[in-house]
Amino acid sequence: MSTIDPNMELMAGFIEENTLLLDTLDEIMIESEKSKNISEKNISEIFRIMHTIKGNSGMMGFETLANMAHSVEDVFFIFREDPSKLNIVQDSIFDLLFQASDFIKNEMDALQGGDAEHQDPQPIIDQLHKQVARMNGESGAGAKEPAPAAGTPNAPAAPAPAPSAPDSLAHSVNGYYHVQVFFEEESRMENLRAYMLLSQLKDWCENLESVPQSPESDSSLTAQIVKNGFYIRFKTASTSEDIMEVIRNTVEVKTASLISEQEYVAAGGTPLPKQVEAPPAEESHVPQADTAPSTPTPAPSAASSAPSSAAPKGVKQNLISVNQIKLDHLMDLMGEIVTAESIVASNPDLKGLTLDNFNKSMRELRKLTDELQDVVMSIRMVPLSGTFQKMNRIIRDMCKKLDKNVNLETFGGETEVDKTINDSLADPFMHMIRNSVDHAIESPEERRALGKPEAGKVTLSAQNIGGDIVITVSDDGCGLDPVKLMNKARNQGLLTKPESEYTEKEIYNFIMQAGFSTNTQVTEYSGRGVGMDVVRKNIEKVGGTISIDSKLHVGTTFTIKIPLTLAIIDGMEISVGNIIFTLPINSIERSIKITSNDQLIHNTDGTEMIMLYGQCYPLIRLHELYGIETSVTNIFDGIVILIEYGEKECCIFADELLGEQQVVVKPFPVFLNKYDIKGYGLSGCTILGDGNISLIMDANSLLHLNER
Amino acid sequence: MSDIQSVSTMVEGDMSDRYLTFFLGETIYGLELFRVVDILTIPPITPVPGIPSYIKGVTNLRGKIVPVIDVRTKFNQMEIEYTDKTCIIVVVIHDMQVGLIVDSVSDVVTVEPNEFTNPPEFGGNESNKYLSTIAHTGGRIILNIDCEKFFANDLDMFSIGGI
Repeated sequence: MSTIDPNMELMAGFIEENTLLLDTLDEIMIESEKSKNISEKNISEIFRIMHTIKGNSGMMGFETLANMAHSVEDVFFIFREDPSKLNIVQDSIFDLLFQASDFIKNEMDALQGGDAEHQDPQPIIDQLHKQVARMNGESGAGAKEPAPAAGTPNAPAAPAPAPSAPDSLAHSVNGYYHVQVFFEEESRMENLRAYMLLSQLKDWCENLESVPQSPESDSSLTAQIVKNGFYIRFKTASTSEDIMEVIRNTVEVKTASLISEQEYVAAGGTPLPKQVEAPPAEESHVPQADTAPSTPTPAPSAASSAPSSAAPKGVKQNLISVNQIKLDHLMDLMGEIVTAESIVASNPDLKGLTLDNFNKSMRELRKLTDELQDVVMSIRMVPLSGTFQKMNRIIRDMCKKLDKNVNLETFGGETEVDKTINDSLADPFMHMIRNSVDHAIESPEERRALGKPEAGKVTLSAQNIGGDIVITVSDDGCGLDPVKLMNKARNQGLLTKPESEYTEKEIYNFIMQAGFSTNTQVTEYSGRGVGMDVVRKNIEKVGGTISIDSKLHVGTTFTIKIPLTLAIIDGMEISVGNIIFTLPINSIERSIKITSNDQLIHNTDGTEMIMLYGQCYPLIRLHELYGIETSVTNIFDGIVILIEYGEKECCIFADELLGEQQVVVKPFPVFLNKYDIKGYGLSGCTILGDGNISLIMDANSLLHLNER
Repeated sequence: MSDIQSVSTMVEGDMSDRYLTFFLGETIYGLELFRVVDILTIPPITPVPGIPSYIKGVTNLRGKIVPVIDVRTKFNQMEIEYTDKTCIIVVVIHDMQVGLIVDSVSDVVTVEPNEFTNPPEFGGNESNKYLSTIAHTGGRIILNIDCEKFFANDLDMFSIGGI
């Protein structure tokens, strides 16, 4: 079947919503599996999720997905009726549900890649059916829902499926038409197909009504639709032929025929308004309504145009999902505005003029753009908890496979980061956690022998420190063995200096080099030596750094530092020769004009220090560091800036401070990735008001530079 | 900005046999036309520390930050002062834009298949190892640059220095 909607936006929305739902599902399942029980609230939540997925998939024409969701729904339908039944199938149900969720997830991924459905859902569906049967077998009662045409009482006043009989009647009553539709046999989920049909007709018709009302809201109506057909009434400006054409061309519609109003009313529809001002007292009119099984009948919606608002949505009403491309564009525009504003404010035409009013307006504008910028940034911020949550699932699966016992603890999941950063963190986390569980954490027996608690622990924590987000991933496993790492590095010829000169940290860093794997055994999860270098690259891509700390037999901690936002910073422009650098304001402590020769201290190794307020700071002369020609080489002529990062401080020497400006941070071109520009104390570039490029300095790496 | 700008969009159809030619001194070189996205006069270039001397720095190309390579330096030829004829040809390699500084841009030529010969395998100077073919066309000899080879040194991503 191929009804893949050409409308990509609809598709994207479908994938997005289902992915969200599946994430929630995973979360609930993990929690439930831990407590070995599914609370009633969660049962209905899962039921709702599956129902929505089924509805969405049905609407998009993905039968496999809809069937899968339907089978899961069947299982939860029973739980919902009688939670105690959970005990009967407890042993296998969780695995099965995870499989089902993975199945749908994989399909989603495939769709995202533009593929059509390709997996075979039958094994899982069969399993699910088996569970349903097991529960029913034990109790004899329960699921009435699964099979579409199962055990519904006979419907009294319905015409037999002989669709073309009343063709000769006058069909149009005041422009109203009545149509009876039958769907293909075995097309499944006729209620959703009916809903799709209604949605399709919405564009063509007014005053759309149907029997049954809101078919999508209750899957038990399926049987009724199969048996009696689906009745529609509408008013249209188009000709009846056109509309019939639309209906007949709808997917899985077998026959559609015009009927008289009387037949429509007989089938349970409300008579036309002019005859009776029909209150929506459906129950009395609808003989078929009581054929519905125990699920509640749909809320009688007043004779409105279309039953589109019936899908359960909960609190989601207040959220809208926006294509990220639009947000990126918004962000770019924001950057342009900030730049444009700077161009206006520091326009050379204004030099030397007294412009009180202009300056006042400029300040006002600045305030507004600042605020706008904050809002734009905050839109892009997402909490890390979602990514953290996903790790739960990975740990669970690995524990099952590897027969280990590992708990995940997370702290600071509410910490928010830019969406781009959040997305680029999922992969590194996964690699690190896999490494931890696979290599670091010992088997329960080993752990017992070592006197550690049997269950290993992996901790994920995030917090805001200064302008950075600091995330740690730590485990209480075996730790890294510097001796082993050194041997391995030697064998692979990775050493670049005498062995004795390597610090412990440098040795740990070997594991982040390409092709370096300490595990001799390649497993499904790790050991191929790709992984940690990918982790490092991914993190560096978003401007972050990663460091390792480890203690043999105690555990390993990875610390990741990432700038809070990549986008816009307050910068101080400083000139060296004819080059302009930008230094983030928040790393500047103060700037000083040196007046006395006593303040300058020459070390024997050629480096210099500055004495300020009774303290000694190392001095970096930027023109020497970057090899720039400048006329300002005398310490008295230029300016000394005291920069700080964390606990560390140092002084840099530049020609002149040019002024403060907000700048949009852009990364260095990818082409230059090979070169160690960051090692020169630079973190990125920005485009200045005049279109020139300024390099952005990074206090942290400048300070490191000084240490070397 | 030159009038040859966006040659690539002007020319439709298969561009595989078309080359943009430029001068370094008296020598004519050719670049595969489909790689060329822009030709500009020399904009201000911001030098960047820690990169090879043939990469002159970065420049602002309509809001994009693009590295610029001096082809003379790359070919071990003497650097000359930039004039108003000096151009930057912006090419695309592996989805990245890179600017190439050349003495001057000549024109676009179509080379017939029988006009190609292979470059000499041995000897020759620094520039020869970056050539794909040599074309004799219209009484001129054009040395066609193989961009993959030309940028190979910079694209070698797996030798990222220490951490």
